[in-house]
Amino acid sequence: MTSRIPNKIADLPNSSPRFIGQEVERVEDRQLVSGKTEFIDNVSLPGMLHCAILRSPNAHAKITSIDTSAAEKMPGVIAIITGEDAKRWTQPMQTVPEGWGTLCLATDRVRFVGEPVVAVAATSRYIAEDALDEIIVDYDPLPPVADTQKAADAPPIYDEHESNVVFQRKFTWGEVDAAFTDADKVLTDKFRWHRLGANPLECNGVITEWDIIDGTVTTRGSFQSQVNMGLLSAGALGVPSNRMRVISQPHGGSFGGKGGPRGTIITALLSRKAGGRPVKWIEDRMEYLAGGAGQSWDRFYDVSLALKTDGTITGLRVVLLDDLGASAEGFGAVSAAKPLAAFTGPYAIPVAEYDLTLVATNKLPQSPYRGMGPPPHNWALEQMVDLAAVELGLDPAEIRRKNYIPKNAFPYTIASGNEYDSGDYEAALDAIVEMADYKALRREQEEAREQGRHLGIGLVNTIEPGVFDWNAYAIVGSQQTGVPEGATVGIDIMGKIVAKVGFSLEGQGQYTVISQVLADYFKVEMSDVRVVPQDSLSAPPHFGPGGSRLGVAITGAVLGAADRLREKLIRVGANLLQSPPEALELSDGMIRIPGVAEAQIPVAQVAATMLARSDLLPEGMDPNPEATYVWTAAGRTPADDQGRAKSYLTAANACHLVLVEVDTATGMVEILKYFIVDDCGTRLNPATCEGMTQGGVAQGVGAALLEEYVYDDDAQLLTSTFIDYLIPTIYEVPMTTKKALVTPSPYTPLGAKGMGEGAIHTTPAAVMCAINDALRPLGVKAHEVPASPRRLWTLLHDQSVG
Amino acid sequence: MPTPRQISVTVNGTVYESTVEPRLTLADFLRHELALPGTHVGCEHGVCGACTVLWNGRAVRSCIMLAVQTDGTEITTVEGLSKDGELNAIQQAFVEEHGLQCGFCTPGFLMTITEMLDRNPDPSDEEIYDYLGGQICRCTGYQSILAAVRNAIEKKKAAS
Ligand code: FES
Ligand code: FES
Repeated sequence: MTSRIPNKIADLPNSSPRFIGQEVERVEDRQLVSGKTEFIDNVSLPGMLHCAILRSPNAHAKITSIDTSAAEKMPGVIAIITGEDAKRWTQPMQTVPEGWGTLCLATDRVRFVGEPVVAVAATSRYIAEDALDEIIVDYDPLPPVADTQKAADAPPIYDEHESNVVFQRKFTWGEVDAAFTDADKVLTDKFRWHRLGANPLECNGVITEWDIIDGTVTTRGSFQSQVNMGLLSAGALGVPSNRMRVISQPHGGSFGGKGGPRGTIITALLSRKAGGRPVKWIEDRMEYLAGGAGQSWDRFYDVSLALKTDGTITGLRVVLLDDLGASAEGFGAVSAAKPLAAFTGPYAIPVAEYDLTLVATNKLPQSPYRGMGPPPHNWALEQMVDLAAVELGLDPAEIRRKNYIPKNAFPYTIASGNEYDSGDYEAALDAIVEMADYKALRREQEEAREQGRHLGIGLVNTIEPGVFDWNAYAIVGSQQTGVPEGATVGIDIMGKIVAKVGFSLEGQGQYTVISQVLADYFKVEMSDVRVVPQDSLSAPPHFGPGGSRLGVAITGAVLGAADRLREKLIRVGANLLQSPPEALELSDGMIRIPGVAEAQIPVAQVAATMLARSDLLPEGMDPNPEATYVWTAAGRTPADDQGRAKSYLTAANACHLVLVEVDTATGMVEILKYFIVDDCGTRLNPATCEGMTQGGVAQGVGAALLEEYVYDDDAQLLTSTFIDYLIPTIYEVPMTTKKALVTPSPYTPLGAKGMGEGAIHTTPAAVMCAINDALRPLGVKAHEVPASPRRLWTLLHDQSVG
Repeated sequence: MPTPRQISVTVNGTVYESTVEPRLTLADFLRHELALPGTHVGCEHGVCGACTVLWNGRAVRSCIMLAVQTDGTEITTVEGLSKDGELNAIQQAFVEEHGLQCGFCTPGFLMTITEMLDRNPDPSDEEIYDYLGGQICRCTGYQSILAAVRNAIEKKKAAS
């Protein structure tokens, strides 16, 4: 059964929609500002125990003995598990590629500082942490692999692998060699992006119960994706998927950093050992920083552009070395594969090559972070475009304009295989140039230079691949195409609407979007709609937030379900109005015969008839005023041997222009002005879109200037608190001037595009372009992020370095 | 283990008599002993400000204070801001200006802003930055929070 999902707001069955596309207040917020939202650490279950985890202080060592006897005798300590329990009861965690994972607790070897070794369940967290002090673990240190660039040749950290190379492959799209041979100019440069990561304000947390009689494991927690958590945990625990029940609690942000199953597996084992009592583990910030899902992108880039003298880019080569850390458990190679979805950015670069090497070292395994792989990729590419502008004597705005995919070329297939749905990049450029008064900024820069001040302008336009699809990851082993998202929509006997979904609150305001869509669809108030999350076993197929997909996907799901419900209501309405169903429509909350004023019945009344008057229903009618629809992106294709596929459904466009000042005496960077033109198609809730953009700018500023996990030569983490790992505050984040362009997607529900990640794709590149624009007259260039004061100062004052 | 102490503390207008271990943090006391979980813990080392509560009217970080320190004093938490389900001006301003996304940082911001506006109902931008500079929000990028502060100032002015 197909479903009619409108591509435009105007096609909703409502002559005057009031909510969708408007800056409505969020339905989530009254609870949140009252402190009433049920985050995982607010949940307490009868008989619940508390877990604390003893972690490795060594980056690489053999475990020679573990003595838990003293801890076991402590009053209040109920269960203790070690790697032996993990070995007996669990499988290694899933990795990408396969075979690069460990058990949830180290067995005979530890491979990173912070790796869990022993876990305790006690009657309070305080007692559990006391017990850790009584546990004695003896280690025999091994030389750590700490240097990413030497990791491939270092002794392997896994006996079962011949080297530390986790993945290596070169993808070639088109006649790349010819493009470089025929080029008027070839430019090459190297870049270094240091580790940083998600750091949602709430760390991870879980409560798990293992019902040993019927074999069901129930885990609730701050999970980004219920279904993913379920599959990863069920696989590791050897529990059938239909006995792995996952409940995602509202959570305090994720940004990709809440996916790993370790916490669930550890608490499940403790629960099993404690006779099935629920066990809670709340990760603290130091655990998160050293051993959580919070580190991403540890990259070395070597990038080449082939150019014509007029500035046309004819080829792109990217060589990437990424340090995955001690395993490939947090989606491993997926992050390096994502740039395929927008490899050449907004540019019509006809051929490209991607030479990837991913290595294992004795650092924390990487996890996803907002944007997944493109933020560093875009940064490296945009530095090259600026370099090309300088070398060819072109303005940075003009070289970009020259290379944009023209607006009449959509849908457009890029060299790496993905298709962009729609866009108008030149319009975005024009808009930002005008809004920022680019010419005046250049004059301001000139005048400042005359006064000895160093201002720089960065102008970057990026593509945000939205609505992720697994086929994008075929090159690193994904067998899937499609990511389903389902919703069940029902109307109760009082005419109130309930939408059941498979994800919880995370911050993006999706429950608001659902309420907006359904309120307009059935012409009711938003307060007449209630969104109710379901656990992983009762929700329709779902994935949840991730890969800039949920706004689009859930809109499709609820509209699909609403359409199916409409069909049911029309069948019943036809009986009540004694007309053929084809003569009826749903419009403005009524089932009616168009043009016949008296022939209309409110939807609520039809729904009530279904539940309360079976005598009035057509024969054989399903009397449930409820319908389910599972949305997945249409037209996705399996990847070819070079990984090329129609993968991400939408291509949003973010154009940023930033003015910075570099203080050469201190190396400090101040952002003076920041402009954004953003095109994510139809804006379902413009205030939410602005918030997503501004939040991404903040994280992008963190990436460009502040955030860095520093490991020393022994792979010891030096940044283990928020005093050392610097999250941007209001002082560092610019208040931005924003403008929206709307190029609706021709393919999606209501024309919306995925939009949660555009700013983090763009801000690091834009800020770094601006810094280098400021530094250029001084003869130095920043090749590393973050461009911390120390790095910039060293560049400026110690010419022997850098 | 040191012997538990008897404390008497007024939280959101209610007097609680409790026996607590000296090492129990104020955040844990409020959240887990008094069932007031609106005070959130983001770092547990005094940096993020999520755990901010008012202690005799002053904004403090409850993760690096001990419950025993509050004996004989008054605490206000986010649960004490609304009355009978009615949001107060600052809470309402956050809703109107989309001053939150995940909302995990929000209680801390609300308490800090409460202290600021109690001290000075018409703070300068510099003062606002000074107060908010100690609160981390990972989601919003602060622009909508700043708008919420300005909205709250206007609301309070209009009401007085
Ligand atoms: S939790 Fe207290 S300051 Fe972060
Ligand atoms: S709203 Fe999520 S941390 Fe501030």
